[in-house]
Amino acid sequence: MTSLLRTPAAWPRVLLGRADALAQDPFDIEAATQAGAFRALRTVVRDLGPTGTIAAVAASGLRGRGGAGYPTADKWRACANAAPGVRYVVANGYGADPSARTDEALLDADPYAVIEGLAIAAYAVGASEAFLAVRGDRPETAARLEAALAAAEEAGVLGEDLFGSGHDVWIRVRPVQGAYMLGEETVLLKALEGRRGQPEQRPPYPTERGLHGKPTVVNNVQTLAAVPWIIREGAAAFAAIGSPAAPGTVLVAVRGPAGAGIAEVPLGTPLRELVGLAGGVGTGRQLKALLVGGPSGGLLPPDLLDTPYEFGALRAAGAHLGSGSVVVADDRACILDLARLLTRFCATEACGKTIPCRIGTWRLVEIADRAAEGLQKPSDPQLLEDLAHDIVASALCDHERLATLALTSGMRYFRAELDDHLLRSSCPAGVCQPIAVTATAARQELPLR
Amino acid sequence: MSLVPGLGMLRGMGLTLRRFFEPKATIRYPEVKADVAVKFRGRLQLLYDEYGTLKCETCFQCAQACPIECIDMGGIDTKGRYHVHWGPPETYGERREESALRRSGRTVPDRRFTPFDPIDLTAVDAILEKYDFDPRHMLAILEETQTAYGHLPVAAIKRISHTTGAWYAMIYGTASYYRHLRFESPEDAIQSASLDVRRPHERAFAGALDAALVGGRGTGGAPGADGSAPGRGPARA
Ligand SMILES: Cc1cc2nc3c(=O)[nH]c(=O)nc-3n(C[C@H](O)[C@H](O)[C@H](O)COP(=O)(O)O)c2cc1C
Ligand code: SF4
Ligand code: FES
Repeated sequence: MTSLLRTPAAWPRVLLGRADALAQDPFDIEAATQAGAFRALRTVVRDLGPTGTIAAVAASGLRGRGGAGYPTADKWRACANAAPGVRYVVANGYGADPSARTDEALLDADPYAVIEGLAIAAYAVGASEAFLAVRGDRPETAARLEAALAAAEEAGVLGEDLFGSGHDVWIRVRPVQGAYMLGEETVLLKALEGRRGQPEQRPPYPTERGLHGKPTVVNNVQTLAAVPWIIREGAAAFAAIGSPAAPGTVLVAVRGPAGAGIAEVPLGTPLRELVGLAGGVGTGRQLKALLVGGPSGGLLPPDLLDTPYEFGALRAAGAHLGSGSVVVADDRACILDLARLLTRFCATEACGKTIPCRIGTWRLVEIADRAAEGLQKPSDPQLLEDLAHDIVASALCDHERLATLALTSGMRYFRAELDDHLLRSSCPAGVCQPIAVTATAARQELPLR
Repeated sequence: MSLVPGLGMLRGMGLTLRRFFEPKATIRYPEVKADVAVKFRGRLQLLYDEYGTLKCETCFQCAQACPIECIDMGGIDTKGRYHVHWGPPETYGERREESALRRSGRTVPDRRFTPFDPIDLTAVDAILEKYDFDPRHMLAILEETQTAYGHLPVAAIKRISHTTGAWYAMIYGTASYYRHLRFESPEDAIQSASLDVRRPHERAFAGALDAALVGGRGTGGAPGADGSAPGRGPARA
């Protein structure tokens, strides 16, 4: 398990606020209840009612932590207003990114916050069945969560006739595994239906036609865990945290040469401070790039260190919040090699349903491969640009759109280094083989760049 | 039939005569290609046989064979309502046999059919019973079947298909998508090994990224020639 990083004491803590109090046994329902768990659920059911709850979430400005930052209240409202009948809520705790384990960390540190948030969401949209999707390759997590749900049902805070309201809310743990794409919401729903994991065309959005064809809300576990806090402490208190456009806190997994770990940070924190949490770069090294957003993230240069870590600003800079991972690369790394690795991962994991996904992503990999091997063509930079544009324009799901980010952000910010590969067959970092050999030879005679 | 005998014939010959003097449009295919609309894919049409019956017998074989569920069948019933499937899935098998019978008078065995290894089905039956033969629990059913048999034997998938009503091709499509499901035991690991090379596991990515960050040589995630996971090349500090 990744360790938690120390953050300044003044930073607000929403998601992991109780983690220290529960450190003994986070799955102990007595301790969790004493620390405040299920108080918000009672308030919601007794006082607020479904519309009041959605209004409170809307006032807090909560946006989805799954990566895209869609306003949570809008999603809930769309589902609540769908045609009457069965509906579902799904908590997305899959945590697809292998280099960020933020959702798992939350489920390990404060499972009852997620469970309570999920119950509130189910109550607010009128669902009596909710699913908690977790990683199937960690069976012990699933077993512990099942025990936690059983304990909650026994304590009378979950299950039949919620606090005497006449509403039932049943939560089931559903472990899924076997593909990166399962984190994507429509793919997750397919997996829960026991089908092939390929995304669906949107619209209709899951809030209209989701699990088993019924209106479904899919929310990240961090989104859901923030909801009880909002109800307890008030929407205004939440809206005051972080940046005005995206209030609240989020878990980030920072990884650098000097350290790695998970931290809860307010949205809008400058990237520089996130890098500092993990100890920055080692002595004698220079920061070269930040990979923000996981395997499908963008590569940002050191001059963008003041970019606030927040949905809109990151998208404008050519990265995205994604899985909440921030990776620090120092001057040992080669940008092309890094972008190539990321693109290859995205291409391997693409589901194969559509042409940009099945073929487009591999053509991107081939361009990067050619450049790394010194077999590039003069038309490659233009081809890369055109192809990336076409993939983004014709993609079915976000995966192939984001798969272009590594190379396009590389072209945008590290043009000089990529041009060394593309036009001069040399790798300044001396990483790419076989052209690195040329580079070392060339470095002695000609000044590069 | 026209009233004046032979008039129809004359009309027909007239058409021939007119066409005879029109300029010809011979396209030297394949050197020269006809000018067709960009999205033209040929016209799809269901054909009728010499008795005027639709040649497609809605036997569902094509739909069942497509592992990614490209083909779907539907139609208007007698009350003008549209249904995606014609009739309950249990009857597809019957209809297929009926269709073959009607054509030839007897069932037609497929010569390429190879019988699969029979296995003891009690374990898969217990699993199916546990999930109430509900195809919505397909992943759990498949995972437990794999735990019971070590892999997913064809006979077990057939059993799951027959009892849950899910098509064999659909189950196959599902099972082949998820990386942890396999069709042969790990001992005969030809398929498993080749799968690992083509689709390296997510976890291998984290290692590859670590290597790339410290300037690992020749990474880029290409699987090694020995089939090793990507990016495990010697790291250069
Ligand atoms: C390739 C891909 C992977 C994703 N992986 C995850 C994931 O692991 N966890 C997650 O919560 N959302 C993931 N998402 C985002 C989900 O599709 C969805 O937007 C999110 O679960 C919605 O929750 P929210 O409204 O709380 O953000 C992924 C999206 C894509 C395109
Ligand atoms: S997806 Fe493959 S099997 Fe299915 S119809 Fe298309 S070509 Fe045939
Ligand atoms: S990954 Fe295949 S459609 Fe998006």
